[in-house]
Amino acid sequence: MQRSEIMDQIRKILISVLNHENFEMTESLSATDTDGWDSLTHMMIVSEVEKTYGIAFKLKELNKMRNVGDLIDLVVSKI
Amino acid sequence: MIFTSLNFLLFFPALVILYYLTPKSWRAVLLFVASILFYLNISPIYLILLLSVCTSTYLFTLAIEKTPDENKKQFYKITNIVLILLPLLFFKYFSVINNGILETMSQKGLHWPLPEMKFLLPVGISFYTFVAIGYTIDVYNEEVKAEKNFGIVALFISFFPLILSGPIERAGKMIPQFKKLPNLDFGHIAAGMQFMLWGYFMKLVVADRLGVYISMVFNSVPNHNGTTLFIASGLYPMQIYTDLGGYSLIAIGTAKAMGIDVMQNFRRPFLATSMADLWRRWHISLITWMTDYIFTPLAFSFRRHKMRGTIIALFLTFLISGIWHGANWTFVVWGALQGIYLSIETLTQKRKTEFEQRYNLKDKGWYIFLAICVTYLLFTASQIFGVAPDVETALIIFKKIFTQHGSPYLDFTTLFFALLGLAVVLGKDINEEFFNNRYGLLSSNYYWVRCSGYLLMLFCIILFGVYSDGSFIYFQF
Repeated sequence: MQRSEIMDQIRKILISVLNHENFEMTESLSATDTDGWDSLTHMMIVSEVEKTYGIAFKLKELNKMRNVGDLIDLVVSKI
Repeated sequence: MIFTSLNFLLFFPALVILYYLTPKSWRAVLLFVASILFYLNISPIYLILLLSVCTSTYLFTLAIEKTPDENKKQFYKITNIVLILLPLLFFKYFSVINNGILETMSQKGLHWPLPEMKFLLPVGISFYTFVAIGYTIDVYNEEVKAEKNFGIVALFISFFPLILSGPIERAGKMIPQFKKLPNLDFGHIAAGMQFMLWGYFMKLVVADRLGVYISMVFNSVPNHNGTTLFIASGLYPMQIYTDLGGYSLIAIGTAKAMGIDVMQNFRRPFLATSMADLWRRWHISLITWMTDYIFTPLAFSFRRHKMRGTIIALFLTFLISGIWHGANWTFVVWGALQGIYLSIETLTQKRKTEFEQRYNLKDKGWYIFLAICVTYLLFTASQIFGVAPDVETALIIFKKIFTQHGSPYLDFTTLFFALLGLAVVLGKDINEEFFNNRYGLLSSNYYWVRCSGYLLMLFCIILFGVYSDGSFIYFQF
Protein backbone atom coordinates (compact mmCIF):
# COMPACT_ATOMS: atom_id res chain seq x y z
CA MET A 1 0.00 0.00 0.00
CA GLN A 2 1.28 3.48 -0.92
CA ARG A 3 2.11 5.99 1.85
CA SER A 4 -0.23 8.50 0.17
CA GLU A 5 -3.15 6.04 0.46
CA ILE A 6 -2.44 5.51 4.17
CA MET A 7 -2.16 9.26 4.68
CA ASP A 8 -5.52 9.81 3.00
CA GLN A 9 -7.11 7.12 5.16
CA ILE A 10 -5.64 8.69 8.34
CA ARG A 11 -6.95 12.08 7.18
CA LYS A 12 -10.48 10.61 7.00
CA ILE A 13 -10.06 9.13 10.50
CA LEU A 14 -8.89 12.48 11.89
CA ILE A 15 -11.90 14.25 10.35
CA SER A 16 -14.35 11.71 11.76
CA VAL A 17 -12.86 11.74 15.30
CA LEU A 18 -12.04 15.47 15.54
CA ASN A 19 -15.18 16.58 13.73
CA HIS A 20 -13.41 19.23 11.61
CA GLU A 21 -11.04 19.61 8.66
CA ASN A 22 -9.08 22.62 9.88
CA PHE A 23 -5.65 21.06 9.39
CA GLU A 24 -3.24 20.67 6.53
CA MET A 25 -2.50 16.97 6.11
CA THR A 26 1.26 16.50 5.92
CA GLU A 27 3.65 13.94 7.40
CA SER A 28 4.86 16.55 9.88
CA LEU A 29 1.35 17.23 11.23
CA SER A 30 1.28 16.58 14.97
CA ALA A 31 -1.28 16.66 17.78
CA THR A 32 -0.02 20.05 18.99
CA ASP A 33 -0.76 21.62 15.56
CA THR A 34 -4.27 20.19 15.39
CA ASP A 35 -7.29 21.60 17.14
CA GLY A 36 -8.98 18.96 19.30
CA TRP A 37 -6.24 16.30 18.92
CA ASP A 38 -5.50 15.91 22.61
CA SER A 39 -4.93 13.09 25.07
CA LEU A 40 -8.69 12.38 25.11
CA THR A 41 -9.11 11.96 21.34
CA HIS A 42 -5.67 10.41 20.71
CA MET A 43 -6.61 6.87 21.71
CA MET A 44 -9.81 7.04 19.65
CA ILE A 45 -7.70 7.95 16.60
CA VAL A 46 -5.28 5.11 17.41
CA SER A 47 -8.14 2.63 17.81
CA GLU A 48 -9.68 3.66 14.44
CA VAL A 49 -6.32 3.24 12.66
CA GLU A 50 -5.90 -0.22 14.23
CA LYS A 51 -9.41 -1.22 13.16
CA THR A 52 -8.98 0.09 9.59
CA TYR A 53 -5.78 -1.93 8.97
CA GLY A 54 -6.49 -4.87 11.28
CA ILE A 55 -3.31 -4.24 13.25
CA ALA A 56 -2.41 -3.73 16.93
CA PHE A 57 0.04 -1.20 18.29
CA LYS A 58 2.11 -1.46 21.45
CA LEU A 59 1.97 1.40 23.94
CA LYS A 60 5.75 1.68 23.72
CA GLU A 61 5.49 2.26 19.96
CA LEU A 62 2.84 4.93 20.41
CA ASN A 63 4.93 6.77 23.00
CA LYS A 64 7.66 7.27 20.42
CA MET A 65 5.26 8.61 17.80
CA ARG A 66 5.69 12.33 17.24
CA ASN A 67 3.70 13.10 14.04
CA VAL A 68 1.58 11.64 11.23
CA GLY A 69 4.76 10.53 9.41
CA ASP A 70 5.71 8.34 12.41
CA LEU A 71 2.18 6.92 12.48
CA ILE A 72 2.39 6.03 8.77
CA ASP A 73 5.81 4.37 9.36
CA LEU A 74 4.27 2.32 12.15
CA VAL A 75 1.30 1.26 9.98
CA VAL A 76 3.63 0.36 7.08
CA SER A 77 5.77 -1.79 9.40
CA LYS A 78 2.72 -3.76 10.51
CA ILE A 79 0.73 -4.40 7.32
CA MET B 1 14.70 24.97 55.07
CA ILE B 2 11.67 26.11 53.09
CA PHE B 3 11.57 28.95 50.57
CA THR B 4 10.03 31.41 53.00
CA SER B 5 12.54 30.74 55.78
CA LEU B 6 15.43 33.01 56.75
CA ASN B 7 17.76 30.03 56.26
CA PHE B 8 16.82 29.88 52.58
CA LEU B 9 17.31 33.61 52.12
CA LEU B 10 20.90 33.10 53.33
CA PHE B 11 21.44 29.75 51.62
CA PHE B 12 20.28 30.79 48.15
CA PRO B 13 22.55 33.81 47.44
CA ALA B 14 25.52 32.03 49.04
CA LEU B 15 24.89 29.01 46.80
CA VAL B 16 24.54 31.09 43.62
CA ILE B 17 27.86 32.87 44.32
CA LEU B 18 29.61 29.60 45.14
CA TYR B 19 28.01 27.92 42.10
CA TYR B 20 29.43 30.41 39.63
CA LEU B 21 32.84 30.42 41.38
CA THR B 22 33.06 26.63 41.13
CA PRO B 23 34.66 25.16 37.97
CA LYS B 24 31.97 23.97 35.55
CA SER B 25 32.87 20.31 35.88
CA TRP B 26 32.21 20.44 39.65
CA ARG B 27 28.96 22.42 39.59
CA ALA B 28 26.71 19.33 39.38
CA VAL B 29 28.52 17.93 42.45
CA LEU B 30 27.94 21.23 44.27
CA LEU B 31 24.23 21.15 43.34
CA PHE B 32 23.91 17.59 44.62
CA VAL B 33 25.63 18.46 47.92
CA ALA B 34 23.41 21.56 48.21
CA SER B 35 20.32 19.44 47.55
CA ILE B 36 21.33 16.98 50.26
CA LEU B 37 22.01 19.80 52.75
CA PHE B 38 18.69 21.40 51.84
CA TYR B 39 16.80 18.16 52.53
CA LEU B 40 18.90 17.41 55.61
CA ASN B 41 17.81 20.75 57.04
CA ILE B 42 14.14 19.83 56.62
CA SER B 43 13.93 16.12 57.19
CA PRO B 44 17.25 14.53 58.28
CA ILE B 45 15.86 11.07 59.13
CA TYR B 46 14.15 10.65 55.80
CA LEU B 47 17.26 11.52 53.80
CA ILE B 48 18.00 7.76 53.85
CA LEU B 49 14.66 7.12 52.15
CA LEU B 50 15.40 9.70 49.45
CA LEU B 51 18.84 8.21 48.78
CA SER B 52 17.33 4.70 48.67
CA VAL B 53 14.88 5.82 45.98
CA CYS B 54 17.79 7.35 44.02
CA THR B 55 19.87 4.15 44.34
CA SER B 56 17.04 1.79 43.44
CA THR B 57 16.06 3.89 40.42
CA TYR B 58 19.67 4.15 39.27
CA LEU B 59 20.24 0.37 39.46
CA PHE B 60 16.93 -0.69 37.92
CA THR B 61 17.06 1.80 35.02
CA LEU B 62 20.55 0.49 34.15
CA ALA B 63 19.22 -3.08 34.34
CA ILE B 64 16.23 -2.20 32.10
CA GLU B 65 18.54 -0.79 29.47
CA LYS B 66 21.08 -3.59 29.68
CA THR B 67 18.81 -6.58 29.22
CA PRO B 68 17.51 -7.38 25.71
CA ASP B 69 14.76 -9.59 27.16
CA GLU B 70 11.40 -7.72 27.02
CA ASN B 71 9.94 -9.71 29.96
CA LYS B 72 12.93 -8.87 32.16
CA LYS B 73 12.67 -5.19 31.21
CA GLN B 74 9.04 -5.25 32.27
CA PHE B 75 9.94 -7.07 35.51
CA TYR B 76 12.66 -4.53 36.41
CA LYS B 77 10.33 -1.62 35.65
CA ILE B 78 7.51 -2.97 37.82
CA THR B 79 9.88 -3.99 40.64
CA ASN B 80 11.37 -0.51 40.88
CA ILE B 81 7.98 1.18 40.74
CA VAL B 82 6.62 -1.08 43.51
CA LEU B 83 9.77 -0.63 45.63
CA ILE B 84 9.74 3.16 45.48
CA LEU B 85 5.96 3.39 45.83
CA LEU B 86 5.88 1.28 49.00
CA PRO B 87 7.25 4.01 51.34
CA LEU B 88 4.81 6.56 49.88
CA LEU B 89 1.86 4.19 50.33
CA PHE B 90 3.03 3.26 53.83
CA PHE B 91 3.37 6.84 55.06
CA LYS B 92 0.18 8.03 53.40
CA TYR B 93 -2.22 5.21 54.17
CA PHE B 94 -0.85 2.93 56.91
CA SER B 95 -2.13 5.02 59.83
CA VAL B 96 -5.58 5.39 58.28
CA ILE B 97 -5.94 1.67 57.50
CA ASN B 98 -4.52 0.59 60.87
CA ASN B 99 -6.69 3.01 62.83
CA GLY B 100 -9.73 1.94 60.80
CA ILE B 101 -9.12 -1.73 61.66
CA LEU B 102 -8.41 -0.81 65.30
CA GLU B 103 -11.69 1.09 65.59
CA THR B 104 -13.78 -1.60 63.86
CA MET B 105 -12.27 -4.39 65.98
CA SER B 106 -12.61 -2.49 69.27
CA GLN B 107 -16.29 -1.82 68.44
CA LYS B 108 -16.76 -5.58 68.20
CA GLY B 109 -14.78 -6.11 71.41
CA LEU B 110 -11.81 -7.69 69.61
CA HIS B 111 -8.13 -6.93 70.01
CA TRP B 112 -5.96 -5.68 67.13
CA PRO B 113 -2.20 -6.15 67.85
CA LEU B 114 -0.98 -2.84 66.42
CA PRO B 115 -1.56 0.28 68.55
CA GLU B 116 -2.75 3.56 67.04
CA MET B 117 0.07 4.98 64.92
CA LYS B 118 0.62 8.33 63.32
CA PHE B 119 3.56 8.98 61.01
CA LEU B 120 4.56 12.36 59.71
CA LEU B 121 4.70 12.23 55.91
CA PRO B 122 8.31 12.73 54.75
CA VAL B 123 8.39 16.11 53.02
CA GLY B 124 8.43 15.90 49.23
CA ILE B 125 8.03 12.09 49.15
CA SER B 126 5.21 12.22 46.56
CA PHE B 127 7.13 14.52 44.29
CA TYR B 128 10.48 12.72 44.22
CA THR B 129 8.68 9.38 43.95
CA PHE B 130 6.77 10.66 40.88
CA VAL B 131 10.00 11.96 39.35
CA ALA B 132 11.69 8.57 39.87
CA ILE B 133 8.69 6.63 38.49
CA GLY B 134 8.57 8.88 35.42
CA TYR B 135 12.29 8.32 34.77
CA THR B 136 11.93 4.53 35.16
CA ILE B 137 9.04 4.41 32.65
CA ASP B 138 10.84 6.75 30.22
CA VAL B 139 13.88 4.45 30.22
CA TYR B 140 11.62 1.42 29.72
CA ASN B 141 9.84 3.18 26.81
CA GLU B 142 13.29 4.05 25.38
CA GLU B 143 12.43 7.73 25.45
CA VAL B 144 15.60 8.49 27.44
CA LYS B 145 18.86 6.62 27.93
CA ALA B 146 19.62 5.27 31.41
CA GLU B 147 22.13 7.63 33.02
CA LYS B 148 25.41 5.89 33.94
CA ASN B 149 26.51 8.50 36.48
CA PHE B 150 24.82 7.89 39.86
CA GLY B 151 25.42 11.51 40.94
CA ILE B 152 23.43 12.87 37.98
CA VAL B 153 20.48 10.52 38.65
CA ALA B 154 20.55 11.40 42.36
CA LEU B 155 20.73 15.12 41.54
CA PHE B 156 17.81 14.81 39.12
CA ILE B 157 15.62 13.11 41.76
CA SER B 158 16.72 15.26 44.71
CA PHE B 159 17.24 18.65 42.97
CA PHE B 160 16.47 21.03 45.86
CA PRO B 161 14.27 23.67 44.15
CA LEU B 162 11.83 20.98 42.98
CA ILE B 163 11.95 18.32 45.68
CA LEU B 164 9.33 19.70 48.07
CA SER B 165 6.38 20.34 45.73
CA GLY B 166 7.56 20.14 42.14
CA PRO B 167 7.19 21.12 39.33
CA ILE B 168 7.53 17.40 38.56
CA GLU B 169 10.18 17.45 35.87
CA ARG B 170 11.24 14.84 33.30
CA ALA B 171 14.61 13.19 32.82
CA GLY B 172 14.66 14.05 29.11
CA LYS B 173 14.69 17.73 29.98
CA MET B 174 16.71 17.86 33.20
CA ILE B 175 19.52 15.29 32.83
CA PRO B 176 21.03 16.92 29.70
CA GLN B 177 20.97 20.27 31.54
CA PHE B 178 22.74 18.83 34.59
CA LYS B 179 25.36 17.29 32.34
CA LYS B 180 26.04 20.59 30.61
CA LEU B 181 25.52 23.40 33.11
CA PRO B 182 25.80 26.87 31.56
CA ASN B 183 28.32 29.64 32.05
CA LEU B 184 27.64 32.65 34.24
CA ASP B 185 24.92 34.76 32.64
CA PHE B 186 23.52 37.71 34.56
CA GLY B 187 20.39 37.41 32.39
CA HIS B 188 19.69 34.03 34.01
CA ILE B 189 20.15 35.47 37.50
CA ALA B 190 17.91 38.47 36.74
CA ALA B 191 15.21 36.25 35.18
CA GLY B 192 15.38 33.89 38.16
CA MET B 193 15.03 36.76 40.64
CA GLN B 194 12.01 38.08 38.74
CA PHE B 195 10.27 34.69 38.93
CA MET B 196 11.11 34.49 42.63
CA LEU B 197 9.83 37.97 43.35
CA TRP B 198 6.47 37.12 41.73
CA GLY B 199 6.42 33.87 43.63
CA TYR B 200 7.02 35.53 47.00
CA PHE B 201 4.40 38.16 46.19
CA MET B 202 1.81 35.49 45.34
CA LYS B 203 2.65 33.43 48.40
CA LEU B 204 3.26 35.99 51.14
CA VAL B 205 1.02 38.88 50.13
CA VAL B 206 -1.90 37.00 48.58
CA ALA B 207 -2.02 33.30 49.54
CA ASP B 208 -1.10 33.62 53.21
CA ARG B 209 -3.34 36.65 53.74
CA LEU B 210 -6.27 34.94 52.02
CA GLY B 211 -5.42 31.91 54.14
CA VAL B 212 -5.93 33.92 57.35
CA TYR B 213 -9.57 34.64 56.41
CA ILE B 214 -10.31 31.27 54.80
CA SER B 215 -8.93 29.29 57.76
CA MET B 216 -10.89 31.42 60.17
CA VAL B 217 -14.12 30.60 58.32
CA PHE B 218 -13.54 26.92 57.59
CA ASN B 219 -12.21 26.19 61.08
CA SER B 220 -15.63 27.05 62.50
CA VAL B 221 -18.20 26.13 59.85
CA PRO B 222 -21.10 25.88 62.39
CA ASN B 223 -20.56 29.52 63.42
CA HIS B 224 -20.78 30.99 59.90
CA ASN B 225 -23.73 31.58 57.62
CA GLY B 226 -24.03 30.56 53.95
CA THR B 227 -22.98 33.96 52.62
CA THR B 228 -19.68 33.88 54.52
CA LEU B 229 -19.09 30.26 53.48
CA PHE B 230 -19.82 31.21 49.85
CA ILE B 231 -17.21 34.00 49.97
CA ALA B 232 -14.60 31.78 51.66
CA SER B 233 -15.30 28.90 49.23
CA GLY B 234 -15.03 31.29 46.28
CA LEU B 235 -11.66 32.54 47.52
CA TYR B 236 -10.20 29.11 48.32
CA PRO B 237 -9.19 28.20 44.71
CA MET B 238 -7.42 31.58 44.57
CA GLN B 239 -5.54 30.68 47.74
CA ILE B 240 -4.34 27.37 46.28
CA TYR B 241 -3.40 29.06 42.99
CA THR B 242 -1.34 31.76 44.67
CA ASP B 243 0.14 29.27 47.19
CA LEU B 244 1.23 26.49 44.82
CA GLY B 245 1.64 28.90 41.89
CA GLY B 246 3.81 31.13 44.07
CA TYR B 247 5.82 28.16 45.32
CA SER B 248 6.32 26.97 41.73
CA LEU B 249 7.58 30.38 40.60
CA ILE B 250 10.10 30.49 43.47
CA ALA B 251 11.26 26.98 42.48
CA ILE B 252 11.47 27.89 38.78
CA GLY B 253 13.32 31.12 39.63
CA THR B 254 15.80 29.37 41.96
CA ALA B 255 16.70 26.93 39.18
CA LYS B 256 16.76 29.66 36.54
CA ALA B 257 19.26 31.73 38.56
CA MET B 258 21.64 28.79 38.08
CA GLY B 259 20.85 28.60 34.37
CA ILE B 260 18.51 25.59 34.65
CA ASP B 261 15.13 25.74 32.87
CA VAL B 262 12.13 24.18 34.60
CA MET B 263 8.63 23.77 33.17
CA GLN B 264 5.82 26.20 33.90
CA ASN B 265 3.32 24.84 36.47
CA PHE B 266 0.36 27.24 36.04
CA ARG B 267 -0.79 29.15 32.97
CA ARG B 268 -3.53 31.62 33.93
CA PRO B 269 -5.83 28.84 35.19
CA PHE B 270 -8.80 31.00 36.12
CA LEU B 271 -9.20 32.31 32.59
CA ALA B 272 -10.02 28.79 31.42
CA THR B 273 -13.31 28.48 29.51
CA SER B 274 -13.97 24.81 30.30
CA MET B 275 -12.86 22.23 32.85
CA ALA B 276 -10.66 20.50 30.26
CA ASP B 277 -9.07 23.88 29.53
CA LEU B 278 -8.59 24.50 33.27
CA TRP B 279 -6.81 21.17 33.71
CA ARG B 280 -4.44 22.09 30.87
CA ARG B 281 -3.50 25.24 32.81
CA TRP B 282 -3.61 24.05 36.45
CA HIS B 283 -0.72 22.22 38.15
CA ILE B 284 0.55 21.39 34.65
CA SER B 285 3.50 19.24 35.72
CA LEU B 286 1.28 16.92 37.81
CA ILE B 287 -1.45 16.74 35.17
CA THR B 288 0.96 15.95 32.32
CA TRP B 289 2.63 13.36 34.59
CA MET B 290 -0.76 11.75 35.30
CA THR B 291 -1.70 11.92 31.61
CA ASP B 292 1.51 10.20 30.48
CA TYR B 293 1.88 7.59 33.20
CA ILE B 294 -1.69 6.85 34.36
CA PHE B 295 -4.29 8.07 31.85
CA THR B 296 -2.51 7.03 28.61
CA PRO B 297 -1.83 3.39 29.68
CA LEU B 298 -5.43 3.12 30.94
CA ALA B 299 -6.92 4.71 27.79
CA PHE B 300 -4.70 2.41 25.69
CA SER B 301 -6.05 -0.65 27.53
CA PHE B 302 -9.65 0.51 27.07
CA ARG B 303 -9.25 1.86 23.51
CA ARG B 304 -11.48 -0.81 21.95
CA HIS B 305 -14.39 0.72 23.89
CA LYS B 306 -13.86 4.04 22.06
CA MET B 307 -15.44 7.02 23.84
CA ARG B 308 -16.58 4.86 26.77
CA GLY B 309 -13.01 3.59 27.25
CA THR B 310 -11.62 7.15 27.26
CA ILE B 311 -14.18 8.22 29.84
CA ILE B 312 -13.47 5.24 32.12
CA ALA B 313 -9.73 6.01 31.90
CA LEU B 314 -10.38 9.68 32.65
CA PHE B 315 -12.57 8.87 35.62
CA LEU B 316 -10.08 6.38 37.08
CA THR B 317 -7.17 8.81 36.61
CA PHE B 318 -8.89 11.55 38.61
CA LEU B 319 -10.04 9.05 41.21
CA ILE B 320 -6.41 7.98 41.69
CA SER B 321 -5.41 11.65 41.85
CA GLY B 322 -8.05 12.22 44.54
CA ILE B 323 -6.86 9.23 46.58
CA TRP B 324 -3.26 10.47 46.23
CA HIS B 325 -4.30 13.83 47.70
CA GLY B 326 -5.32 12.04 50.89
CA ALA B 327 -6.82 8.95 52.49
CA ASN B 328 -10.12 10.68 53.04
CA TRP B 329 -13.52 10.30 51.35
CA THR B 330 -13.52 14.04 50.64
CA PHE B 331 -10.65 13.54 48.17
CA VAL B 332 -12.39 10.55 46.59
CA VAL B 333 -15.45 12.75 45.98
CA TRP B 334 -13.15 15.53 44.72
CA GLY B 335 -11.53 13.16 42.20
CA ALA B 336 -14.88 11.69 41.16
CA LEU B 337 -16.29 15.18 40.59
CA GLN B 338 -13.39 16.10 38.26
CA GLY B 339 -13.99 12.82 36.43
CA ILE B 340 -17.71 13.59 36.08
CA TYR B 341 -17.07 17.17 34.85
CA LEU B 342 -14.58 16.05 32.22
CA SER B 343 -16.66 13.06 31.13
CA ILE B 344 -19.71 15.28 30.55
CA GLU B 345 -17.56 17.76 28.62
CA THR B 346 -16.09 14.99 26.46
CA LEU B 347 -19.53 13.54 25.72
CA THR B 348 -21.02 16.93 24.81
CA GLN B 349 -17.94 18.36 23.06
CA LYS B 350 -19.20 17.72 19.53
CA ARG B 351 -22.57 19.40 20.11
CA LYS B 352 -20.96 22.27 22.01
CA THR B 353 -18.54 22.96 19.13
CA GLU B 354 -21.39 22.88 16.59
CA PHE B 355 -23.46 25.25 18.74
CA GLU B 356 -20.54 27.67 19.18
CA GLN B 357 -19.80 27.63 15.45
CA ARG B 358 -23.44 28.17 14.44
CA TYR B 359 -23.76 31.34 16.54
CA ASN B 360 -20.12 32.38 16.21
CA LEU B 361 -19.82 32.46 20.01
CA LYS B 362 -16.12 31.72 20.48
CA ASP B 363 -15.09 35.33 19.79
CA LYS B 364 -17.83 36.99 21.78
CA GLY B 365 -16.60 38.65 24.98
CA TRP B 366 -19.76 37.94 26.98
CA TYR B 367 -19.65 34.24 26.06
CA ILE B 368 -15.98 33.92 27.07
CA PHE B 369 -16.74 35.73 30.35
CA LEU B 370 -19.71 33.45 31.03
CA ALA B 371 -17.64 30.34 30.27
CA ILE B 372 -14.86 31.55 32.60
CA CYS B 373 -17.39 32.16 35.42
CA VAL B 374 -19.13 28.78 34.99
CA THR B 375 -15.76 26.96 34.94
CA TYR B 376 -14.64 28.79 38.09
CA LEU B 377 -17.88 27.98 39.89
CA LEU B 378 -17.64 24.28 38.99
CA PHE B 379 -14.03 24.14 40.17
CA THR B 380 -14.91 26.01 43.38
CA ALA B 381 -17.73 23.55 44.12
CA SER B 382 -15.30 20.64 43.80
CA GLN B 383 -12.70 22.38 45.98
CA ILE B 384 -15.17 22.50 48.89
CA PHE B 385 -14.42 18.77 49.18
CA GLY B 386 -10.72 19.65 49.10
CA VAL B 387 -10.94 22.01 52.07
CA ALA B 388 -13.61 20.33 54.25
CA PRO B 389 -12.30 17.86 56.86
CA ASP B 390 -15.01 15.30 55.99
CA VAL B 391 -17.85 14.75 53.52
CA GLU B 392 -20.47 15.60 56.16
CA THR B 393 -18.94 19.06 56.72
CA ALA B 394 -18.68 19.61 52.94
CA LEU B 395 -22.39 18.85 52.58
CA ILE B 396 -23.22 21.20 55.48
CA ILE B 397 -21.23 23.94 53.67
CA PHE B 398 -23.26 23.33 50.47
CA LYS B 399 -26.53 23.30 52.39
CA LYS B 400 -25.72 26.54 54.20
CA ILE B 401 -24.62 28.25 50.97
CA PHE B 402 -28.03 27.53 49.42
CA THR B 403 -30.21 28.08 52.45
CA GLN B 404 -28.61 30.29 55.13
CA HIS B 405 -28.08 33.76 53.76
CA GLY B 406 -27.24 36.74 55.91
CA SER B 407 -24.69 39.47 56.44
CA PRO B 408 -21.23 38.00 55.91
CA TYR B 409 -18.36 37.90 58.34
CA LEU B 410 -15.66 40.07 56.76
CA ASP B 411 -12.22 40.78 58.14
CA PHE B 412 -11.78 44.06 56.24
CA THR B 413 -8.06 44.68 56.84
CA THR B 414 -7.03 41.15 55.89
CA LEU B 415 -9.35 40.98 52.90
CA PHE B 416 -8.46 44.46 51.64
CA PHE B 417 -4.74 43.69 51.25
CA ALA B 418 -5.36 40.13 50.05
CA LEU B 419 -7.83 41.24 47.37
CA LEU B 420 -5.58 44.09 46.29
CA GLY B 421 -2.74 41.59 45.80
CA LEU B 422 -5.09 39.19 44.07
CA ALA B 423 -6.19 41.96 41.68
CA VAL B 424 -2.51 42.46 40.75
CA VAL B 425 -2.05 38.70 40.08
CA LEU B 426 -5.28 38.39 38.07
CA GLY B 427 -4.55 41.67 36.26
CA LYS B 428 -1.22 40.20 35.14
CA ASP B 429 -3.00 37.04 33.97
CA ILE B 430 -5.63 39.02 32.02
CA ASN B 431 -2.93 41.21 30.45
CA GLU B 432 -1.04 38.13 29.28
CA GLU B 433 -4.11 36.24 28.10
CA PHE B 434 -6.04 38.93 26.25
CA PHE B 435 -3.62 41.83 25.63
CA ASN B 436 -0.42 40.03 24.68
CA ASN B 437 1.30 41.51 27.76
CA ARG B 438 0.94 45.02 26.32
CA TYR B 439 0.12 46.84 29.55
CA GLY B 440 2.42 45.09 32.01
CA LEU B 441 4.44 47.30 34.31
CA LEU B 442 7.05 44.56 34.49
CA SER B 443 7.12 43.93 30.75
CA SER B 444 7.47 47.61 29.83
CA ASN B 445 10.08 48.56 27.22
CA TYR B 446 11.43 51.15 29.64
CA TYR B 447 14.06 49.90 32.04
CA TRP B 448 13.16 52.39 34.78
CA VAL B 449 9.47 51.38 34.63
CA ARG B 450 10.39 47.70 35.03
CA CYS B 451 12.77 48.51 37.90
CA SER B 452 10.14 50.64 39.66
CA GLY B 453 7.65 47.79 39.22
CA TYR B 454 9.95 45.26 40.86
CA LEU B 455 10.88 47.68 43.65
CA LEU B 456 7.19 48.30 44.29
CA MET B 457 6.62 44.56 44.45
CA LEU B 458 9.51 44.10 46.89
CA PHE B 459 8.11 46.94 48.99
CA CYS B 460 4.67 45.25 49.01
CA ILE B 461 6.19 41.90 50.03
CA ILE B 462 8.06 43.50 52.94
CA LEU B 463 5.13 45.64 54.09
CA PHE B 464 2.12 43.45 53.40
CA GLY B 465 3.52 39.93 53.48
CA VAL B 466 2.35 37.49 56.14
CA TYR B 467 5.34 36.07 58.01
CA SER B 468 4.02 33.19 60.07
CA ASP B 469 5.02 29.52 59.71
CA GLY B 470 5.28 29.97 55.92
CA SER B 471 4.16 26.44 55.22
CA PHE B 472 2.85 25.62 51.73
CA ILE B 473 -0.49 23.81 51.15
CA TYR B 474 1.03 21.11 48.92
CA PHE B 475 3.67 20.06 51.50
CA GLN B 476 0.95 17.87 53.08
CA PHE B 477 0.66 15.78 49.90
